Amino acid sequence: MTTAEAPQLPFDRPDALAAAPIFTRLRAQGPVVRVITPAGDPAWLVTSYDAVREVFRDRRFGRSHPAPEQAARISHAAIQDGPSGNFETEEADHKRMRRMLAPAFSAPRMRALDKRVTEIATELLDAMEAQHAADPDQPVDLYTALAFPLPVLVICELLGVPYEDREMFADLSERIAIFDGGADARQAMADFNAYMRRLAEVKRADPKPDVISDMVQVQREAPDFTDDDLANLAAGLLFAGHETTATRLCLGTLLLLTDLDRRDAFAADPDGQVNDAVEEILRLTVTGGVGLLRYAHEDVEVEGVHIARGDAVLVSIESANRDESVFDSPDEYDPHRTPNVHVAFGHGAHVCIGANLARTELRTVFPMIFKRFPGLTLAKPLDQIAVRKNRVAGGVDEVPVTW
Amino acid sequence: MKVLADKDMCVGAGQCAMLAERVFTQDEDDGTVVVLQPVPPPADEEDARQAVLVCPSGALTLAES
Repeated sequence: MTTAEAPQLPFDRPDALAAAPIFTRLRAQGPVVRVITPAGDPAWLVTSYDAVREVFRDRRFGRSHPAPEQAARISHAAIQDGPSGNFETEEADHKRMRRMLAPAFSAPRMRALDKRVTEIATELLDAMEAQHAADPDQPVDLYTALAFPLPVLVICELLGVPYEDREMFADLSERIAIFDGGADARQAMADFNAYMRRLAEVKRADPKPDVISDMVQVQREAPDFTDDDLANLAAGLLFAGHETTATRLCLGTLLLLTDLDRRDAFAADPDGQVNDAVEEILRLTVTGGVGLLRYAHEDVEVEGVHIARGDAVLVSIESANRDESVFDSPDEYDPHRTPNVHVAFGHGAHVCIGANLARTELRTVFPMIFKRFPGLTLAKPLDQIAVRKNRVAGGVDEVPVTW
Repeated sequence: MKVLADKDMCVGAGQCAMLAERVFTQDEDDGTVVVLQPVPPPADEEDARQAVLVCPSGALTLAES
């Protein structure tokens, strides 16, 4: 493929809530267009809703590559940076992983977690209220006070990771996901892997009702599921389990606070509206700017575009969720969309395994925030809140609020 | 309206069981879909329809009658 005039990712967005304006032009150009990755390599970007669902469902696209050393690189982070997994066994490996994890993340189990999420959020909101009472003129950062610690505490309990280690793995999570991280990102990944290996050793000796203990148990019956596989998977779950939900909590709050009528409408009946509001927040907010990575395992035609075996394909959830041919006024927040079939969690066999965990956390926390602080306001204009452009999971560094 | 589920296609993501909890649940052992109400009552039809449309694996289909 040629690289002439292909735009380079990540694209500029005007603020944390807006989509990059270039997506509108790229969707008009076609459902599958050429782009340059942050690492400078050529790739395809899938822009339309229909093509995004099609590629996600097509088993001829995978995470592995037939010749990994020749694969286009996405970035110099240590995740979503290039091919992963074994080309020959990817599908079987992935199926085993899903079967192993699906029960632990099932809807009934997640709903049972609701009470615990409420307890954790209550404590964090109490602390937030105390912080504000001690110094009412000072804004409180909702990211530090709530949006970050809540999903970290929840995923730690689910996986069986000691919360005391949070500073260490928060640092590792940040470093593995910086686009130009390079050697430091790889070192952080190695440290993350070593940490999870040590934790697996602890669970092997003393299993507990948690996901890492479940994985150790599976390993007894499947020796080809190596210590390295287990550690990488555990690190991936810990990373995904807090980075993305923290971002959604921050951006969802920003979305509700940047229009006070919208805030008041939600605060008037949070419990009655939260399920629909969460789906619309999921549709409109983005946890990463470059799309999800796939490689073509054979030559594939997608909506008339020929994608050659080995080509890198970035599937843009962000673009699909604002596709004007599917969603009326796609940039507008409208919690009454019915149905609201967004692809915020992906689609197909690789769909986010934590979707129901994320939904449970978001559905529980948003009503709690707005029941406690119905008059919550942003302490800084949206355009002064820095967007993390250089991070795999996107997000913002702060959500300064007051009441 | 009738809901049909193909357990072989199901990837156990459980989105249906979250979006339409009275219509779907998940197998405790492997997380695959279990249909609680093949013919959802009118009050649950909208949720069931959303769940079928969202289904990531295509395991769910709807027969409108």
